[in-house]
Order: sequence, then C-alpha cells, then structure tokens
Amino acid sequence: MEASGLFEGTLPLPGVYDELLDASGRPREPFRAALEHLSSRGTEGFARCQALAELALFNQGVTFSVYSDQRGTEKIFPFCLIPRVVSAPDWARLEAGLVQRVTALNLFLDDVYGDQKILKDKVVPAELVLGAKHYLPALHGVRPAGGVRVHIAGIDLVRDPEGTWRVLEDNLRTPSGVSYVLENRRATKRLLPQALDLARVQPVDHYPTRLAETLASVAPARARDPSLAVLTPGPYNSAYFEHSFLARTMGIELVQAPDLFVDDDKVFVRTTRGPRQVDVIYRRTDEAYLDPEVFRPDSMLGVKGLVRAYARGNVSLVNALGNGVADDKAVYAFVPHMVRYYLGEEPKLEQLQTWVCNTPDDCAYVLENIEELVVKAVDEAGGYGMLMGPQSTLAEREEFRRRILAEPRKYIAQRRLELSTCPTWIADRGCVEPRRVDLRPYILTGRAGPWVLPGGLTRVALVEGSYIVNSSQGGGSKDTWVQKEAP
Amino acid sequence: MISRVAEHCFWFGRYLERAESTARVLGVTSHLATDAGLTPGQTWHPVVIVSGEEEPFTARFGPEALADGEAVQRYLTWDGESPVSIRCTVGAARLNARSIREVVSLEAWETVNELHLWVDGPRSREAFEQDRYGFYRQVRNLAQLCLGHLRSTMLHDEPLEFMRLGVNLERGGQTARILDVHHHLFTALEQRHDVVETALWLGLLRACSGYEPFMKRHHGLVNGEAVAAFLMLEPRFPRSVRYAVHNARERLEAIRPPEDAGLPGQDSVARLGTLDGWLGVLPREPFETRLLHERLTHVVDEAARVGSDIAREFFGQGPV
Repeated sequence: MEASGLFEGTLPLPGVYDELLDASGRPREPFRAALEHLSSRGTEGFARCQALAELALFNQGVTFSVYSDQRGTEKIFPFCLIPRVVSAPDWARLEAGLVQRVTALNLFLDDVYGDQKILKDKVVPAELVLGAKHYLPALHGVRPAGGVRVHIAGIDLVRDPEGTWRVLEDNLRTPSGVSYVLENRRATKRLLPQALDLARVQPVDHYPTRLAETLASVAPARARDPSLAVLTPGPYNSAYFEHSFLARTMGIELVQAPDLFVDDDKVFVRTTRGPRQVDVIYRRTDEAYLDPEVFRPDSMLGVKGLVRAYARGNVSLVNALGNGVADDKAVYAFVPHMVRYYLGEEPKLEQLQTWVCNTPDDCAYVLENIEELVVKAVDEAGGYGMLMGPQSTLAEREEFRRRILAEPRKYIAQRRLELSTCPTWIADRGCVEPRRVDLRPYILTGRAGPWVLPGGLTRVALVEGSYIVNSSQGGGSKDTWVQKEAP
Repeated sequence: MISRVAEHCFWFGRYLERAESTARVLGVTSHLATDAGLTPGQTWHPVVIVSGEEEPFTARFGPEALADGEAVQRYLTWDGESPVSIRCTVGAARLNARSIREVVSLEAWETVNELHLWVDGPRSREAFEQDRYGFYRQVRNLAQLCLGHLRSTMLHDEPLEFMRLGVNLERGGQTARILDVHHHLFTALEQRHDVVETALWLGLLRACSGYEPFMKRHHGLVNGEAVAAFLMLEPRFPRSVRYAVHNARERLEAIRPPEDAGLPGQDSVARLGTLDGWLGVLPREPFETRLLHERLTHVVDEAARVGSDIAREFFGQGPV
C-alpha cells in the first residue's frame, strides 16, 4: 500500500470482521488490485470523486422523501463511494443459501394458506403463526398464479467476527432499496471505472429485465400479452423514487390507486382511451392500505374490490398478500425447521440465536439477561421498537420489561452481534474509518424458480459506534461488488 | 395512457414553456427601456398585464410599483405565491415531471431537475443580482434544452404529444397576449418618432424570439402592421399564434384522430380544429389592424376553452 494511500492508517476494530481489510489493515487478497488502485487516488483525489458522486445523485433526483415534513423534503440517501466487495466463492455459498431459504419460505406460506401441514405436525407452533399480526385468515385457500408468493425477497444479512454470514431478518412483503443498488453502480461506473474492472465485478443492471420477466410469468392464465403495472402510494411516499425508477426501467406503467377501479371483479386502469384491464400489479402500497373493503376502511391509497379480484384469480398481486406471517420476527426463529421440513436439507445459511418471548422459558431468560440482549418488536421494522441492551439505560430496560410482560408474543430477543465493518469515507474528518454494515440481496421468484441478483444493498451505519444501518436513522449505502469466478 | 399521467404531461409542457416565456419577456423588456426611451411605467406595466397578475401585484405593492422595473422583475422571478413567477413555474414543471418520472426521459428529467435546483439555490440569486442577463439566459437555455431532450430522447408517442400539446397551447396564448398588450401600448404613444418606433417593434419581436425570422421575411421593413401580421399569422414561424394553434391541433389529432368517433375527446378536437381553421383563412394583406384586439381576445378565450375541454374529456375532470 502506498504511503499517501486512501486506506493509510485505517485499522479494523479489534474483534470485528472487516469486509475489505485484514486485521493488520492490508487489503484482503481477492480485492488487492482494485483496492490498491482506489487507495492510490489518495484522500484528496477520493474526496473529489465522492463529491461528484453526491452531486450526480442529487441532480438525478435519486432521493427519498422525509416523512416528518409535510411538503415531503427530498434528500439523497447518503452514499459512500468506497465499495463493499464480496469474493466469488463467498458469493456462491450465499447464493445457494438464499435460494434454499426463499424456496422454503415460499413453501411455508403456501402451506399456511393451504393445508397447514407444518402446524399440524407441530414443527412450527400453530398459535405463533395463526396469532401473527399479518396472518390473513380471509385469504385461506386462495392460491396465487404458479403458487408463487414471495416474488421479490430482500434478505438482510450480517457477518459475525468469524466472517460467517448470518440472516438478520427476512423481508417478504415490499422490500425496497434495489433502485439504489442500480443507481450506486451507475455513479461508481462513472467515477471508478478502473477499480471496477480490476475487481472483475458482476453487472447488476439487468435486474429490471428479470423483474419484468418475473411479473409476466405470474400473470393470470388467460392473459396472453399481460398488462403489467407498478402501484405506488404517490410522489410523497418515501420510496417514490424507486417506484418510478422500476416502472421506467421496466417500461411499464406507474399507477396510483385513483387510476384503478374494479368492475365485475376485474381491475381496470383509467386511460385517455377509456378503461383497460390490468393483469399483474407490482404493488408497493402496504397491504393494510390496499383495499378499503378488506383492510383499513379509511385508506385513501386503496382500490375498492382489489382483493376480491385477486381472490377470483383475475389479477396477480406481487408480492402476494399475507406474506407478513413469514417475515414475522418470532416466526423467523423457525425458518431452519422449515428448511428441514420442506426440503429435507440442512440450512446453508446461519441465522441468529433467537429467544421467542411467547415461550415461557425464553421469556424468563430474556427478562433476566435483558442487559446483554437486543430486544425487537416482532412486527416493526426500520430500527424502531428496539432495545439495544448493552447501550440502554436502566429506565429503558424497565420499560421493555414491562412491555414484554404485557405482550410476550410481541417480542423476541437476540444477542448483539459484532457486525462486520467496511472502510467508509467520513467527510467531516476527511479520512476513512471502519463503520458497521449489513447486506440486503434481492431474490426474484417467478414460475421458473428463484434467481439472486449478484449484488445488493450494503447499508452502513455512518455514526461512529452505531449498529443501526437504517436510512431513517442515520444510515447510508455503498455499492456492493460481487466478483466473477476466477478465469 | 393513464389519464392522470396525461394530465401531468400536459402541465409539465405548459409550465416549462411559461417559465421560458417569462424569462424571455423580462430579459427583453430590460433592454427595451433603454432602446426606445419609454418611461418605466410604459415599459413595465404591460409586462404585468401580460402575466395576468395586475390585480394581485397592485394590491400588494401599490399602483406606483407598476413603474418600478426592479419590483416587477423580482415579483415575476421570485414570488412564491404568484403562479406565473419563474420560481413557481419551474417548480411546478419539475413537480409534474417528478410525478411521472417513469415517463419523462432521464435526460429531460435531469435538465428540469437541475433547472429547479439552480433556481431554488444560492447561485441563481447571485446571478440575478450580478448578471441579470445571464440569469434569464440560463433559465431559457435550460428550459429549451429540456424541450429539446423531450423531442430527441422520448418515444414520439402519446406522452410526448400531451407535453407538446401543453407547450403549444401555452405558447400560442403567450404570443397572443404579448402582441395584444404591446400593440395597444405602442400604437397609442404620442409624438412617435421613426427610430423609436422601430426600436419598439423590434423589442416586441425579440420578446417572442422573432427578430431574425421577421427580418428574413421582410428584409428590414419594420412597421406595426407587418410585425402584428407576422406574430399572429406567419405559418412558418414557430411562435406565431397561428403556428402554435395549428401545431397544438396536430398534436391533439395524433392523440385522438378526428375520425375515431368512439374515443373521448370529441369537443376538444372540434373546438381546436375550428380555431385553427379560422386562423388559417384570416387575410395577412390587408391586415385589419383595427380588428387585432378583438381577434386576439377570441384566440385567448378559445384556447382557454380548449384547455377546459381537454381536462374534462382526457383527464377525467368534471362530467364527461
């Protein structure tokens, strides 16, 4: 490494795995050429590139809206140009594990809304599943086209100090973030083309094509040239950029609820030439707001009668309804059992040891050891409804003890994992420091089975010492480089 | 296409054109005052009338502000409440485009987004204070660049037709209003002097980007009648009233062919067709100057009615 290099003086935290550097601060072997090239730009050269990348993202309107402001202020998702790199052998193992996990989760959902064999065989506790907030008994017996329920999955992964990947949570409803994967790559290609070449990185820009194929593959049988649409809550939604991005790059229409109506249990879109039937809707509206007839009657974002049309098989909804029962954080504890039960295989991906407060023994353990544990509400996301035991105050711990005792089903606990870090540009100090990261790969499942995008969203906790990577709480993102197999 | 999307396309085009037009008129008027020796009132009052903002402007700043070029320019450039200020029209164009990001080409979106970010940021204020001409020029250039991107990077299909329909209806209306107001003022001036008069008509042509095209047609013979006839009826000048209305008609008929009686749009197509036909047979020589005001008023009123018909028949507003 050169003396004036970008990574000079950057040392991984003790006892923590770093994605790019070994314990002595040298680039890991598979990434050496690319990182040395990057490092040779020095801090000044890199700072210029970083500023250009941010300006480009801002000018392109690659932004998310901030809810707290009525006018919907737009901000760019903070982006660090130093990539997170995954070696080819590492990725091959991950890919196989993700395919296995998503396959099992799909089978589980099909079972829960069908014969419920896994509950009858007591592999997963029935009361946990049927009592889940997102279980929708009204949809029992409704089987979507091709039996596919998790068309788009985002599985959040972290790495422990030994370098082992572990699943942190499954997102099987409307996982977001893939547009940033593609936009981050576009910025990187523009600013670090040589490093990208040296690292022999797999492309990600075919994602929209694969997504469109996935959507078309699950159209109702009668539709020969299916009409596809992305449904968005509208421009003030925080993920609106992504909704329009996906519609634009797939070349399909972006609709809002008032554009749609249901007649004779069929869904139509209002056009300048009169109504036209829609076959597949990639809906980015939360299920609770989708149809005021079935869910929240006060929803302004919904389409009346949409669920009836769906239950009749006249329209395909992507993802299927009711998936929340499988990404519930308490049900998560049982995913390894699902893999063994449905596939007869050992799980290829590790996950975190989880105490389910619904179980009396687990609950007692959690209450006793709360100071060492991370407590999470089973149905919340975005880093909310969480207690980080080791960093909490006595009052916070007492508050969570009370909450757990009141509603044990609502809570689970895990040990705080020493998440891996990645060297990250810290603008106000003008240097590179390790920051914690996670990884969200995207898995598409159409009639032909699962496919994993070779890349993903690396989220980074920009605040020093923080473990929370969510964009709503000071997180940023990085481009994720998945290397090709060695020639 | 989806009715809501069509509506955003239409207004995206309209606001973009309006921003460009306001910037051009303000920029040209600043020079006009020097060239023609008009009083500040004679110079700036018409600009406020053309913008349709005479009432709110006078209510807020008093009638004497109509003679204050700085006040007029600041209002029509920055005012956050005026629907015609450059800041608001650029913001509205960009908001419409943002609502249909999946339809607007990436190049066009980046341009309108950059224009908006620039107008909303400190660098444009600096340009406005230190280089007024450069400020107006930048607004016009980015708006024009965006219009160019739309035509050269988008499918020539319904969404683009709705944008261009909006652009042309707005453009025809703007030229009609500018011509009407200034023609009235200039012909009413006392103690007219040839040099001054020529400067006035040239200023009017510049406000419509029509100076060079006019010269190519008339080889330097500048007088009120010729300029008025050119701006109203020249079939090959893209900002003449006639050209803009005719082009709007072509866009509308591409969206909804007159022979497809089953599709929505019957009233819009009929009304715009009638207006275009009427303009097409008006005589240029002799050009009946005394009827100019009446005719331009007819154009502005009919264009507004076409706008309401389009909203009702294509965007689903009000009874179909």
